[in-house]
Amino acid sequence: MIEVHDLHKSFKTKTGTVAAVAGVGFTAHDGQITGLLGPNGAGKTTTLRMLYTLMAPDSGRVLVDGIDAAKDPDSVRQRLGVLPDARGVYKRLTARENIAYFGELHGLSKEQIAARTEALVDSLGMADVIDRQTEGFSQGQRTKTAIARALVHDPKNVILDEPTNGLDVMTTRAMRGFLRGLREEGRCVIFSSHIMQEVAALCDRIVVIAKGRVVAQGTPDELREQTGQTNLEDAFVHAIGSEEGLFL
Amino acid sequence: MSQQKSKKPGWFASLWTVMRKELLDLFRDRRTLAISLLMGPLLAPALLIGMGSVISNKLTTQLEKTLELPVVGIEHAPNLIEWLKGQNVSPQEAPADPVAAIAAQDEDVILRISEKYAEDWRAGKPALVEILYDSSREDSQIPVQRVERLLTAYGQTVGALRLLARGVSPSVAQPVIASPIDLATPESRAGRMLAFLPYLLILSGFLGSAYLVIDITAGERERQSLEPLLATPAAREAIMSGKIAACTLFGLATLVLTLFAMKLGLQYSPGLQGKVELSAATIPVLLAIMVPVVLLGSTLLTLISASVKSVKEAQSYMSILMLVPMIPTIFLMVSPVKNQWWMFAVPFLAPNQMINKVIRQETVVVLEWIVYFGVGLGLALLLWLVAAKLYHREKLAISG
Repeated sequence: MIEVHDLHKSFKTKTGTVAAVAGVGFTAHDGQITGLLGPNGAGKTTTLRMLYTLMAPDSGRVLVDGIDAAKDPDSVRQRLGVLPDARGVYKRLTARENIAYFGELHGLSKEQIAARTEALVDSLGMADVIDRQTEGFSQGQRTKTAIARALVHDPKNVILDEPTNGLDVMTTRAMRGFLRGLREEGRCVIFSSHIMQEVAALCDRIVVIAKGRVVAQGTPDELREQTGQTNLEDAFVHAIGSEEGLFL
Repeated sequence: MSQQKSKKPGWFASLWTVMRKELLDLFRDRRTLAISLLMGPLLAPALLIGMGSVISNKLTTQLEKTLELPVVGIEHAPNLIEWLKGQNVSPQEAPADPVAAIAAQDEDVILRISEKYAEDWRAGKPALVEILYDSSREDSQIPVQRVERLLTAYGQTVGALRLLARGVSPSVAQPVIASPIDLATPESRAGRMLAFLPYLLILSGFLGSAYLVIDITAGERERQSLEPLLATPAAREAIMSGKIAACTLFGLATLVLTLFAMKLGLQYSPGLQGKVELSAATIPVLLAIMVPVVLLGSTLLTLISASVKSVKEAQSYMSILMLVPMIPTIFLMVSPVKNQWWMFAVPFLAPNQMINKVIRQETVVVLEWIVYFGVGLGLALLLWLVAAKLYHREKLAISG
């Protein structure tokens, strides 16, 4: 379970201070998929970076399975599987070596890594490429490698930044199936997206973010109720206040 | 799904993992590997030794082959000319305009015998012989010295004969005899021949793995793989140290190759054979001296790579860094000073002095070793601490 309380984060730029995140709070439960929906530049990636302890919030708290991310970031990182916005697989290593590298950095034994790799190769459908160097991989193969690498230590909580970004229709469908699989296994899954269809199709709970703030959250039914719209699409547009930057 | 399988990895386990991965990654990059392992370490010694043997060959030929000497007024001093012919010199008719011939570099040296030579000779007065040459030309040095030496010898011989003819012992005219005794050992002479070695070693040790260091911190960031890496529970210091360890090992490997290339080059290059030697026993000592230098280079470049925005920016520091190891060497060239203990505490000067001592087969005393390693490793540790601090900055992981 991941609890997020009133996160704030500002950056200094040449033109002044920019508040990237200005009040984001939500709870993501185990066995559920929680979607962060918002236009580009809404603060989704910055929020996720604070969840996986790469950035420290200016104020607010993140609790992962009850552990405070500010106080014990190492334990939090052990409990998280992270697919950052930056996929960055090592192109001169094979997919298997990429996965094993992260397994070792998570303190897994060789046997554990081998067993987990087999399971992930199965569920992600990457048996044909697992022993190839990742140079020349398609976007989908790279994303799969990065996801397998992120989940090698069998984490209870999974954070994915735009997991379907740049994937074709078939791979996107497969990816959705994989995310549902993670939910079936009882994991707490958070993913961000600017594509409304995807969030609507997958999520148990939706957190709508715009301009660094949570503007609406709840189950799809609750969202419709809150905004007084019968159509989920209209509900989103109403919550965000404009259609700009949103992929319907 | 099972419960929390992973545990926080050990510090050294992470270091070891990162180091192995970086070396594997590097070894898969065959072309970069070939260039940095073969070109640098092999080309530099080959070039230097090649040049050395060309110079030494030239010296031998200039010193030993028959000297063709154009003489103006060759007819004025037939005895001198005859004597010169017996001294491996072949006197020839001079060109019409000797000054122009020297200026045009057609001749290195021309002898001009005065028209009054015979007259002065008979009168017992000093007879004038002029040596024409251009002192700004490196090539003329040896022929001019040969001619000068021969003329001096001829003058002394004739002078001695004249004194004897007058019943005076020639030693009366030689109140002092100066005899130089060269105390240089073969090893110290070798040290002079290898004067470029310290700089070559220090520079390649300091910056030999620079591109690798920049690539695995600034480059990894640009390729966007640093963010997932830093999201693992492995300690950032351990990740950084693993990268530094990989670069240090690689840097030392290039140095081993450089030293063996030097050794073979010195053994087999014509003209240098046997004169200069790099013994197998000194190679490990030289490598030990290089350890702090390589560490210093790896940590400094890691620090730079962690503080800059891009690979390009990191690389722009290279031209400055290449000059840094030269500063002490230039300082010593301008004002040479005797070895003193504090020199072993000055970065880049210290390894210079240590390498020179080892090549000249002088003993490096324990105090010098302690000061050298203490300061060298201490400085590397300091840079490591600063780099580790930079590795904790939020900005590091995020690219773009």
